[in-house]
Amino acid sequence: MIKHNVTIGLVAVALVGSVTFCSTYAQEASAESASTISSQAQAAIANAEVEVEKARVAIEAGKQIIAQIPSDSPLMPDVAQVVEAASENWKIAIDSLKGAKESASKIGSATNESIANDYALLAKVNAGVALSGAKVVQIALTYIDAIAAEKTEALDIIRTAMQDALASSSQVQFNYERVKTLIAQKYSK
Amino acid sequence: MTKLSKYIIGSTCTIAGLMVSTSMAAVDPATAAGNLAEIGSISVQAKANLSEAANGGNVDDIAEAGKRSDAVDAAMAQAQEAFSEMERALANGDEDTAKSAADDLMASLEKAADALNGVIPEEVVNAVKEWKESKKNTGGGAGRPYDPPNMYDVPWNSRLMRNFYQNHFGNNWSSGVTPGDRDATPE
Repeated sequence: MIKHNVTIGLVAVALVGSVTFCSTYAQEASAESASTISSQAQAAIANAEVEVEKARVAIEAGKQIIAQIPSDSPLMPDVAQVVEAASENWKIAIDSLKGAKESASKIGSATNESIANDYALLAKVNAGVALSGAKVVQIALTYIDAIAAEKTEALDIIRTAMQDALASSSQVQFNYERVKTLIAQKYSK
Repeated sequence: MTKLSKYIIGSTCTIAGLMVSTSMAAVDPATAAGNLAEIGSISVQAKANLSEAANGGNVDDIAEAGKRSDAVDAAMAQAQEAFSEMERALANGDEDTAKSAADDLMASLEKAADALNGVIPEEVVNAVKEWKESKKNTGGGAGRPYDPPNMYDVPWNSRLMRNFYQNHFGNNWSSGVTPGDRDATPE
């Protein structure tokens, strides 16, 4: 009987020890994961900033390039469509970059690891939306450049790339909304 | 060691194992959706590289950018399937399948990032090539039958549809029968 009690005692100590170990291990893993995703978010924001700046430069150059296209060009309707798409995506890129920075600024002041992790995830995905928007603007300006330079053989490829990029970009935006909804659901329970 | 001791030790290990698995392996749909968004963003970058190569005019660069873009799209399709499978598994309470699908999604993200940098497995290149060659009536280019796509993918804005309606109205007009020419009813 004493032997049994000792065994049970040892097992109880082992159980408490394993629980403490698991808890500590999980906390460390969670902290490490939060730190990783936070640094990923910062990298994504820096990357998006570079691409938004490139898009801004492309827009500046594009204003002069558009002036080179004859007003009676048969591709003028294409130019109008592309400029409209560029304008919409430029706005998306600027707004998303601002949103990503706001989310990133809240990581440090979050009350626990889980909330910090969620802010970092939001910042990272929103930076992806900004980057996609900026890239769509760049493709649009490449298309206008190809029209101005009469690179007709490139137009089909760029036109298709633009359409695919718009579709992928809308996927990024859709998934950002999905991330927001899923995080909101987590805290509304 | 008695039977009871073995039982207690076994139970302890099981409880500890379960705690580790639940603390480490829980699937987070928000993270998975974030990964899916990241693959979409990689796809946009691949398209931007392709358009830049097309504008540059170098045939080899265009072929390489096109190959990378196709491989990214293939990874994105796999990721979307994995996400759907994860959602279904979570809805059915099947945590293991959900975890496996989330891992597949993560693997697709890595594949997409590799493809953007030019690391593409041979089987992906062959699969994309076979798929393109299997498409017939490729009026809009390889793998893209019919009319070249328009910017917003609005079918009624395509050149094909515009031509169709213009011809249709043109034929009606030239037939000389306009809505005002209908016969009066007996009343």
